[in-house]
Amino acid sequence: MKKTTLLLSALAAFALPATTHAAPNKNLNIYCWSEYIPQAVIDRFAKETGTKVTVENYASNEEMLSKLAAGGGAYDIIQPSEYVMEALVKEKFLHPIDRAKIPNLKNIAPQFLNLAFDPGNKFSVPFMAGTVGIVVNTDLIKTEIRGFNDVFKPENKGNIVVLDDAREIVAWALLANGMGVNQITDKNLNKIKPTLEKWLPLVKVYDSDSPKTALLNGDVAVGVVWGGEGAILLNKNKKFRWIIPAEGSHMFIDSLAIPKAAKNVESAEEFMNFILRPEISKEISEEFPYLNPNLAARALMTKKELENPASFPTDEEMKKMQIFRDIGTQASEIEEIVTTLKAQ
Amino acid sequence: MAFLYIPIALLVVFSFNSARLNIRWEGFSTKWYEALLSNHVLLGAFQNSLIVASATTVLSTLLGTLGAWMLYRYRFPFQGALGLLIFIPMVMPEVLMGVSLLVLFVQLLNIPLGFTTMIIAHTTFCFPFVLVAVQARLQGLDPSQEEAAMDLGATPFQAFRKVVLPYLMPAIISGALMSFTLSLDEYIVSVFTTGSQSQTLPLKVYGMAKVGLNPQLNALSAIFIAATFTFALAVHFFGKKKNL
Amino acid sequence: MAGFAAPTGVAPPPGAHHRTPGLLAWIILSPLVLWLLLFVVAPTLMLTAVSFAERDALGRIVWNFSLQNYFRAFDWVWLKILFQSLYYAFLTTVICMAVGYPAAYCIGRAPERWRGILLMLVMVPFWTSFLIRTYAWITILSKEGIVNSQMISAGIFTEPISLLYSPFAIVLGLVYNFLPFMILPIYTSVEKLDNAMIEAAYDLGAGPLRAFSQVIIPLTRPGIAAGAMLVFVPSIAMFAITTLMGGGTNPMIGEVIFKQFTSGRNQPFGAALGTILLLVFILTLWLARSQRVKEE
Repeated sequence: MKKTTLLLSALAAFALPATTHAAPNKNLNIYCWSEYIPQAVIDRFAKETGTKVTVENYASNEEMLSKLAAGGGAYDIIQPSEYVMEALVKEKFLHPIDRAKIPNLKNIAPQFLNLAFDPGNKFSVPFMAGTVGIVVNTDLIKTEIRGFNDVFKPENKGNIVVLDDAREIVAWALLANGMGVNQITDKNLNKIKPTLEKWLPLVKVYDSDSPKTALLNGDVAVGVVWGGEGAILLNKNKKFRWIIPAEGSHMFIDSLAIPKAAKNVESAEEFMNFILRPEISKEISEEFPYLNPNLAARALMTKKELENPASFPTDEEMKKMQIFRDIGTQASEIEEIVTTLKAQ
Repeated sequence: MAFLYIPIALLVVFSFNSARLNIRWEGFSTKWYEALLSNHVLLGAFQNSLIVASATTVLSTLLGTLGAWMLYRYRFPFQGALGLLIFIPMVMPEVLMGVSLLVLFVQLLNIPLGFTTMIIAHTTFCFPFVLVAVQARLQGLDPSQEEAAMDLGATPFQAFRKVVLPYLMPAIISGALMSFTLSLDEYIVSVFTTGSQSQTLPLKVYGMAKVGLNPQLNALSAIFIAATFTFALAVHFFGKKKNL
Repeated sequence: MAGFAAPTGVAPPPGAHHRTPGLLAWIILSPLVLWLLLFVVAPTLMLTAVSFAERDALGRIVWNFSLQNYFRAFDWVWLKILFQSLYYAFLTTVICMAVGYPAAYCIGRAPERWRGILLMLVMVPFWTSFLIRTYAWITILSKEGIVNSQMISAGIFTEPISLLYSPFAIVLGLVYNFLPFMILPIYTSVEKLDNAMIEAAYDLGAGPLRAFSQVIIPLTRPGIAAGAMLVFVPSIAMFAITTLMGGGTNPMIGEVIFKQFTSGRNQPFGAALGTILLLVFILTLWLARSQRVKEE
């Protein structure tokens, strides 16, 4: 029995405290999505500017929001999605950015600037965007799929994967009923309820983290997933096809912002400008195939990357995209509606 | 036993897979091992995980063992209530525990988030496992042994150390192993109680599924498991020689 | 030391070993009591307080007393989800017991110097990330995975069947992840079994089955009970594994609370559901305990 004790203590022994580097005078504390900013990019920023960078990760906007709201941790950079950004702006959680310090903002396509969640980009710079669309395994589904109504058909029962995200599912039902993704009122929710009642029993898998797994494994034949997931699938196998729903779809925009409590505002602005550099932005796109809003970076990308329809929608498709507005307290009701329908 | 190792076997096999996605075999490669060795972020996070898990194990084992022994040995007021409270951290959904501890640390106790807060949080949900395991073992303890030792002139402390502790050892080790395991893989409680200096492996890994779990993780797990085995066997044979 | 050995004055009843605690006993117990008060009772009370509050648009708590969260929580949907979670936890416990007992028994009866190693062997697979383990299972069970391809080449299935994203997969995932928590406590009970007792049973003419059911099982009961606790209780609120393996079509109580707390941005409602879960749980435990006390 002593052996096991010994073993445990030995494990403890090789867990020596992390070595600290010679302390540079500049610090930057980043709180970002995991697997979104490549480590090489962060390392390069640290080296180039002599900044000591620490990175903390989250896996959902709400984790970040809860921690920020409780006052935990002093972050200099956060990376919220558009609807959370809107709430943070509204609730005066953010530090205004100094545009003069971020000249590279000029690289961003105008359609990603000055949006409803942050008019005039007073608080945020766009990082990456992405769409939600349909992936079809053409080996298994021969009929043509154009939009949500073609996906959620009885013959596809048990063959569908969708994002495990109540807001998304409700948005699709709104679109299928000819409404906008943000027209969430009690009346409209009642109107789309029959649609959801019809759709949800057909779904086999709810997965927000990796819906591609079920598609790749052949467990389902069609899915409504993030563009980034779609891009990976398309690169993997020609049998997968990407479709932007005819009814329109949701486009998310993740931005960088500085919380009010930040201690290193200057470093944060320096980091924003660094991220918007064409070659850096291109490097991020290479590793994570999202919709890059940076035109100068797109100019550096390969034809193959730019032609992946799941990463880069056509101009025609872009017109059908809607972004989420903050819906405040209604988020809870939406969760309840979807949970209730799932449990039936 | 084989059942426990089915996914582990696959994990090890895939650590040598040349493909980025852990789904299909596409050829032999050791590139993930090479990449892992230069990945200071993953290795650092792994180190942090070991620090937190080791500290949690020590604390939980102490709290759990002494708690079980005291509750068994004496009749305290509110004993029943204490016994029930111990189960709360086990049943409390992790997100509730994480957020309420976050508020407690930040707003009431003013402890900066980091290793300390994380170890406290982990210990809170780990020590009940030790306590329950030790309690089960205590139920069969023959009180006469401890009394006999004291009759022979041993102080209560000596009696505890020489008679009770060796008897409890298998349960204590079981509890310690459970604590270590639970702490090593905890995500939700960690995300709310960690600081940027104490990022553990699950915190780095959790969001990875969306771009495909990095096979470097398979490599890391494979190395860790192999190292543990080698070490366990070494101690085993070394220990045997000493016993001779 | 005097406090530690505080004499009780009266002889303890036979079988019992409880004394009135002295000062030292209190000192030794105090870390546990403090820990419980500070990190268990205080957060639980905070949570209960939050469950009566309201929240603003950002999800921050507004301290207005309201019972609205509880009115909303008493709905058959949440009850159904709670019972479903309890059902899966129960099933997991029973299967873990059936599978874990023989394993624990073998480890406990193995030569002493091997026990430590065997115990490590049980635990080490879990020193990997649960995501990797779960995705490994997904790869194995998927339509194009090993199980299906083996079954087809063996001629058992004619075409791949969906093993994943089913109640079977949920239970498999739970059993796999909680099995060690059944094996370890049972092992500690088996380990101390007295060979003489078992031999005595045989000497008295008991067959292996009777020796097992009438001697070994009762003697290892504390271990079984502890194992059942350690598997059942945490698996009630567990949801990451169930969502991944089950496809998320059967929401579990832990998942519902998590979502209300995070994407629902309704911490008070999440807290109310959590408080109800804790109450149901504590009530059950308390009833079970008083029942047992009555029996004794």
